[in-house]
Amino acid sequence: MSVFVQYLVNGLTIGSFYALVALGYTMIYGIIRLINFAHGDLFMVGAFAGWLVVAAAAGMHLPVAMQLLLALLIAMLAVGLLAMGIERVAYQPLLKSSRLSILITALGVSLALENGAMIAFGAGFDTFPANILPLTGFHLFGAQVGYVQVAMFALALLLMVGLYLFVQFTPVGTAMRALSFDQDAARLMGINVEGVVLITFLLGGSLAAASGVMMGLYYTQINFMMGFLMGLRAFTAAVLGGIGNIPGAMVGGLLIGVLQSLSAGYISSQWQDVIVFAVLILVLVFKPTGIFGERVVERM
Amino acid sequence: MARRYSWILAAAGAMSLLVAGCGSATTSSSSSSSAPIKIGVPVPLSGSYASAGEDIVDGAKLAAAKINGSGGVLGRKIQIVPVDDACDAQTATQAAQNLVSQNVTAVAGGYCSSASLPELQVFHSQGDLPFVLDASTNPQLTELGYNDVFRTIGRDDEQGPFAANFIANYLHAKKVVVMDDNSTYAVGLQQDTVKALKSYGITATVQHLTPGQSDYTSVLTQINQLHPDVLYYTGYFTEMGLLLKQAHQLGYTFQMMGGDATNSPTVLSTAGSAANNFIVTTAPLAQFLGTAKSYVTQYTQKYGQAPGPYSVYEYDAVSVVAQAIKNAGSTKASKINAALSKIHDFKGLTGTFSFNKIGDRTPAVYITLRVVNGKFTAYKELNDAGQWVSVH
Repeated sequence: MSVFVQYLVNGLTIGSFYALVALGYTMIYGIIRLINFAHGDLFMVGAFAGWLVVAAAAGMHLPVAMQLLLALLIAMLAVGLLAMGIERVAYQPLLKSSRLSILITALGVSLALENGAMIAFGAGFDTFPANILPLTGFHLFGAQVGYVQVAMFALALLLMVGLYLFVQFTPVGTAMRALSFDQDAARLMGINVEGVVLITFLLGGSLAAASGVMMGLYYTQINFMMGFLMGLRAFTAAVLGGIGNIPGAMVGGLLIGVLQSLSAGYISSQWQDVIVFAVLILVLVFKPTGIFGERVVERM
Repeated sequence: MARRYSWILAAAGAMSLLVAGCGSATTSSSSSSSAPIKIGVPVPLSGSYASAGEDIVDGAKLAAAKINGSGGVLGRKIQIVPVDDACDAQTATQAAQNLVSQNVTAVAGGYCSSASLPELQVFHSQGDLPFVLDASTNPQLTELGYNDVFRTIGRDDEQGPFAANFIANYLHAKKVVVMDDNSTYAVGLQQDTVKALKSYGITATVQHLTPGQSDYTSVLTQINQLHPDVLYYTGYFTEMGLLLKQAHQLGYTFQMMGGDATNSPTVLSTAGSAANNFIVTTAPLAQFLGTAKSYVTQYTQKYGQAPGPYSVYEYDAVSVVAQAIKNAGSTKASKINAALSKIHDFKGLTGTFSFNKIGDRTPAVYITLRVVNGKFTAYKELNDAGQWVSVH
C-alpha cells in the first residue's frame, strides 16, 4: 500500500509538469489545428530563462522566495513573448497554406531553438542551485511526500484552473472558443483572429515556461535537449486526453505521469514508455477522440 | 580536364602514402643520431573531449622536459608530437598515418578507446611501433595480443572486482543492488561486479534504468523494497546526481556508490548536500596520489590549473617509453617492444608497476573517493597486503 502511494505521489508530481506543457499543445491545436512541435522546446527555453534569473537574483542577494517568484514570472513572460514572436514570424504567413508546410516549419523552429540553446548554453548540463528548495517532507500513508512536491502540484493545479476560468469566463477566452469552432465565422463576427491566436501562443508559451522552471528547480539539471522528450510525452498526454480539450490535457498529463511511475515501479523502467504508448494506442483504438474528446467540431 | 588531373594527383598521393607506410619500419631506425627522438601523442584536440586531450599533451610535455633536463635518452632529446584524433575512428586512422609518416619512434597517448583501436591497427601493421596507452581502458585493446601495445592505466574489467572487494570486505554489505543504464560500458561493469560479488558469497540484485529521464523515484522505491545495504550504479554522472537527490528526498538511507563515470562535479552540483557520503570507485586523479604531489604543483604552476584525470598516466607512459629506449639502447621498434615487455617495478608517478604478458599494467590502480562536505575526497585503497587502508 505505502509503495503504491509512493508511486502515485511521484507520478502526480511529474504528471503535473506534463500537463502544463500538454495544455499548450492542446490550445494551439484547438485554434489553428497545428501540432506545434516547437512547444517542448519552449519548455526548455523556459527552464534556461528561469536558470538565468535565479543566477542573477542570487547575485543580487535577493531572498530565495523572491528569486523563485522572479524566475517563474520572468521566464513565463519571456517565453510567452518568444512564442508570440515565433507565431508571427514562422506560422502566421503559412496559416492559409497546406497543413504539411506549417508542420514542417514547426519542426524547423524546434531544431532552431534546440541548437540555439546549445550554442548559447553549451551541450552539457547546467544545474540550478541544488539546495534552493528544501528536501524535507512528511509521511502520508507510509509514503514520503516532499513539501516541494506538494507546492509544485498545487502551483500546476492553480495555473490550470486559472487557464480554465480564463477560457470559460473572459471575452478573450470566449473569442478563443469561438475561433476553435469556426475561424471564418468568428472573423465575420468581428473577432480579431490574428490577435486571439497570438494570445493563445502567449498563454501556451508561458505555461510551458512555468513547467520548465518548476522542473528545473525540482530536478536541478537542465539541458538543451530536455524539451524533446518532454514535448513527445506532453503531446501524447494531449492526444490521450483528447486533443483540443483543455481538461483533457490536464487529465492526460497526470495520467501519463502516474502510468509511467507505476510501470517503472512494478515492471521495469525500460518498459515505462512501451506501456504508456500501448495505453495510448488502446485508448485511440476504442475512443479515437481521446478520453475527453467529443464531437469533432467542438473543441476547448 | 581539371577533374582528370585531380584523380591522377589523388592516385599519386595514395601511392606515396603506401610507399611511405611500407618504408617507415626501416627509416625510423636509421634517422641521424643527433636528431630528437619523436614520441607521438594521438589524442582528441578538437570536439567535446579537446580539454582532456590537451591535458594529456601537457602531461607528455612535462615528462619530456624532465627527461631532457637530465640529458635525454641515448644522448638525444625527446620531442613530443601531438596529433588530433578527434575521438573518431576515421580521423584516428589518418592521425596514426600522420605519425608514421613523421617517423616517430614510439607512441604514448590515446583517450577514446574507439579511436585508439584503429590507431593501434595502423601502428601494428606499419612496423610494430610501440604504443603505450594512457587513458583508453577498453579490455579489447590489449586482448588483441599485439606485442607492441601496453598501457599505464587499469582496464574496465578490473574495476568490477575492485568495487566488489570494497563492498564485501570494507562495507561488509549483505544485500547489494547493482544497477546499470543499459549502455555497453555500464552493463560490462555491472556484470564484472556481480560476478566478483558472487565469489565473496554475495548474490546481488541487478537493476536497469533508462537514462535521459528526470525522474527515477520509481526505480528507487522499487530498490528500497529490497532493503539493500548498498546500491552500486555503473552508469554515468547525469543520472547519478538525480539518483542521489531523489533517494535523499524519499528518505532512503542505503549506501550509494558509483563507478568511475560518476566521478564528475555535475553529481555534486545536481545533488547538493544529498551527495554527501556518496562513494565512487575510480582510477585516482593525480591529486589523490601520494607519489604525484610535486607533479601536481609543477603542473599547476606551468598551466595555471590542476591536472585533469589522465595527464599523470601520460607522464608515466612517456617516462616508461624513454626508460625502455634506454634499456634497449636502440630506437628500433622491435627492441623497444622487447624492453617494454621486460619493464619490471617501474617507479612511476602513479605508483610502481610492471606490464603483464599482454601489456596491461599490474597492479592496476583504483581507489575509492567519498563526498565530504560537498567535495570528492580520497577515501580507501587496497594496500599491497590486500587490506583496505585510508589514502594518504
